[in-house]
Amino acid sequence: MIRCHPRLEQLVKFVEGNLSYSESILIAAHCDMCDHCRRVVDSETADQAETAFGTDVVQAGPDFDAMFARITQLPAAPAFESGEVLFKPPSKTSLELDGKSFRLPRTLQNLAGKTGNWTSLVGRLWQAPVDLGCHGVANFIYMAKGGSVPEHTHRGTEFTLVLDGKFSDGLNDYDTGDFIYLDSEHTHAPKTEFAEGCLVFSVLDQPLHFTSGLARLLNPFSHLFFR
Amino acid sequence: MLVGIPSQQSNNVVKPKECAAEMAEHIVAVAEKRCKVSFAIVFGYFAPRLRSYALKQMGNEALAMELVQDTMSNVWQKAHLFNSEKGSPSTWIFTIARNIRFDMLRKLQNRKEEICSEDLWPVLCEQTADVNETSLDEQITLEQVGFLFDSLPRKQKAVIEAIYIDGKSQQEVADELDIPLGTVKSRTRLALQRLKSML
Ligand SMILES: [Zn+2]
Repeated sequence: MIRCHPRLEQLVKFVEGNLSYSESILIAAHCDMCDHCRRVVDSETADQAETAFGTDVVQAGPDFDAMFARITQLPAAPAFESGEVLFKPPSKTSLELDGKSFRLPRTLQNLAGKTGNWTSLVGRLWQAPVDLGCHGVANFIYMAKGGSVPEHTHRGTEFTLVLDGKFSDGLNDYDTGDFIYLDSEHTHAPKTEFAEGCLVFSVLDQPLHFTSGLARLLNPFSHLFFR
Repeated sequence: MLVGIPSQQSNNVVKPKECAAEMAEHIVAVAEKRCKVSFAIVFGYFAPRLRSYALKQMGNEALAMELVQDTMSNVWQKAHLFNSEKGSPSTWIFTIARNIRFDMLRKLQNRKEEICSEDLWPVLCEQTADVNETSLDEQITLEQVGFLFDSLPRKQKAVIEAIYIDGKSQQEVADELDIPLGTVKSRTRLALQRLKSML
């Protein structure tokens, strides 16, 4: 069951279009999985539309007549020639790893084609980078049963969406669909004992900072973990 | 002054909610008949409102007018993608404008175009506009829904049969039945929605 949702003000900013791309992607993907947040976003969109266009004073604008003439000369959008387009599934609806297939939420299906190869990391972890074309690094990360990431904190922010399975990090237990926001105030050590492992989508804007024991030795190499 | 654009005074005080049903009908008329009178009414109501929204968002008259023009062009060219069951005309037009603004700002920041606003808030792409029908197709075959065709209204049934059973293009169906392409599209969409709701 989904317990971790974006905060209301994040959803409001998402609808305004005032969040970064990477944060917007995670929220859109969470809404693909979460009926509750999707309903909030839908009604917030309707409210914002009503407010944006509900202004009482509409000043006489510049040359709207000319604009009207220009627009109505445009043809209708090219027809989708047959009904085929209606039934054409998105290019890649799932992600494959190690004989497993994970169905992706709609928003992330568009990214699956931009995903690099899986590489194996320490601690029964695999990651596949996604090029978002913007600041920050995005990865699909798969933790097999018994897999873990050494305890770490964040220099920046870390957004994580649980796509399949469950994991715990010493702060909380997370389930499929959960949206997790962590920053430098949080130190955690993700691990999973779930039989099927756990697939997440994660966006970081700075490398991780490992905090405990021997793992501190990893810090100079943390860019190798979440590149 | 264009015929059909209501004067400032008369539409000044009408809230989007109050004219939603009327605007929805006009957008459908644009989709089905390329009706300029209907578009003039939609344009006359929304273009000045879009401009105040755009001025607030962009803080610049030229960019604001670009936003208004791009948004209203989409309304004119893609009116067939409006679906009143999914939301009101103001919500649809706001979503288009918000998306264009998002992409404009991103372009101004010289971001790579790996993703665009349509991926976040699909509203204008043909494929995702019909995403529900996509999942319908994955769950059942057309043969299985065959018997449900009988319950469709006659006109929708004719269009669906021609496209999905005879394999004709929407343009061919439009020519054959002597109806506008927009009408074929909206009948197809309505029929698919109806089929989906029966499953
Ligand atoms: Zn939620």
